[in-house]
Amino acid sequence: MNELFAEIVALLRDVTGEDAEWMAGIQPATTLDGDLMLESVELTALSAALQRRYGPGVDLAGYVAGLDIDQIIGLTVGEVAEYVAAHGIRAGEVVG
Amino acid sequence: MSRFLFLSLPLAGHVNPMAAVSRTLVQQGHEVAWAGSESFLRPLLADDTTVYPIGLRLHRGQSDLGMTATRSRWEGYIVPHCRFTRPAVEQAVQAYRPDVMVVDQHAVAGALVAHRHGLRWASAAPTSMELTRPYRALPKVESWIHGQLAAMWTAAGLSGTPPHDLRFSPHLVIAFSSKALTGTAPLPENVEFVGAAVAGRPPGADFPWERLDPGRRHVLVTMGTLSMDIAKDFYERMVAALRSLGDRLQAIVVAPEGTVADPPEHVMVFPQVPMLDLLPRLDAVVSHGGLNTVCETLSHDVPLVIAPIKGDQPINAAQVAAAGAGIRVRYVRATPEELRTAVLAVLDDPTYRAAAARVGESLRAAGGASAAARHLALLAQPVSSLRQTELRTTDA
Repeated sequence: MNELFAEIVALLRDVTGEDAEWMAGIQPATTLDGDLMLESVELTALSAALQRRYGPGVDLAGYVAGLDIDQIIGLTVGEVAEYVAAHGIRAGEVVG
Repeated sequence: MSRFLFLSLPLAGHVNPMAAVSRTLVQQGHEVAWAGSESFLRPLLADDTTVYPIGLRLHRGQSDLGMTATRSRWEGYIVPHCRFTRPAVEQAVQAYRPDVMVVDQHAVAGALVAHRHGLRWASAAPTSMELTRPYRALPKVESWIHGQLAAMWTAAGLSGTPPHDLRFSPHLVIAFSSKALTGTAPLPENVEFVGAAVAGRPPGADFPWERLDPGRRHVLVTMGTLSMDIAKDFYERMVAALRSLGDRLQAIVVAPEGTVADPPEHVMVFPQVPMLDLLPRLDAVVSHGGLNTVCETLSHDVPLVIAPIKGDQPINAAQVAAAGAGIRVRYVRATPEELRTAVLAVLDDPTYRAAAARVGESLRAAGGASAAARHLALLAQPVSSLRQTELRTTDA
């Protein structure tokens, strides 16, 4: 899970264009909306990057579409990692 | 001649286009009144416009971004504004007895009072926030908003549930935009697009026109009225982006004094500028993407670089980018290099200006404040028997 979390943080850095210092500040409880101020275009890019890496079962945009407003505001990086662990595959294996 | 009662929010971006329509109606001999803050509205309205006073209550600062901003817009602004203004709007309707109410999509009290009195009313969309169902991909967010509207309906003592989405009058919706911008987004059938409404706005600030060098191109940077720390940060990145371009452009930056430290010679900083007088001389506008700025800019065939912050700005940015009339950049994270690339693209690639001219033509053809006034005057006319039946059904 820690390895997966680090991978997702690296993908976040890629879609935002941020740096290592920014990455180091990201915790599982960090929120995408309030803390990272992720814009909708960046969320879309993250969703696509996760799907490329972890397979078609990972559809973060679809997952977010099913959330209510408080859940969207509260969505954390750790929750994204849990979602990927539950739905993704990596090198033919279940991620989590 | 008819009587119109206007209701908006005490926000310049909301009031300005509606005030232009109000002035046009007065010029045409109609009677117009507003319900709102006298001190806020008076400078924007024609002299013989009545204002039924509603105190200017300060709401919690709107410093949030993202979905947090959407939640605070409703819980911290729209809902309290409705609760606070509804009694005063009710009194204004009883005192003024308007033929038609003109109600900002976010001033829900107006919709509730119009329903209670069986009045004809028009929704006004001075922003794009509610017009195109931007949350249609997030059904639970949409239903949350409908829940807020239903709660306001109940709190007003009206029985049952709202007969329709209260942000959309069944009689008329006036949108200060163009179909060239909204594209294929779903819309109610009674939406009338009128483009930018700027008629009669008071003249803006003085400007040192002699400082504009005709040998260089001109870029306006205007990010609206912001108090957030990251606004300063954006200006710093923007000025860094433009620093090496003094040989080919001059930038006019609208920002509070002290926002930009040591600007280079070709970057001029002013707390305010006469936007409408400047636009004919501009080659590009860098903006937060407020709808008025976007439509006024495109009405002058000028392409945009938009760094949207919140509210309808990301929607407007996406619409402008889809129309080919500009480039969307990221507000929080765009680097000086990204910003410079975007500015140079809209300046140097003629397709952006051509697309801006296409949208501009549709905006100018939409007719602005006078077209809005025409639609409203029609709505105020005695109704035909068919229309009357329809209205009675709606208001029942």
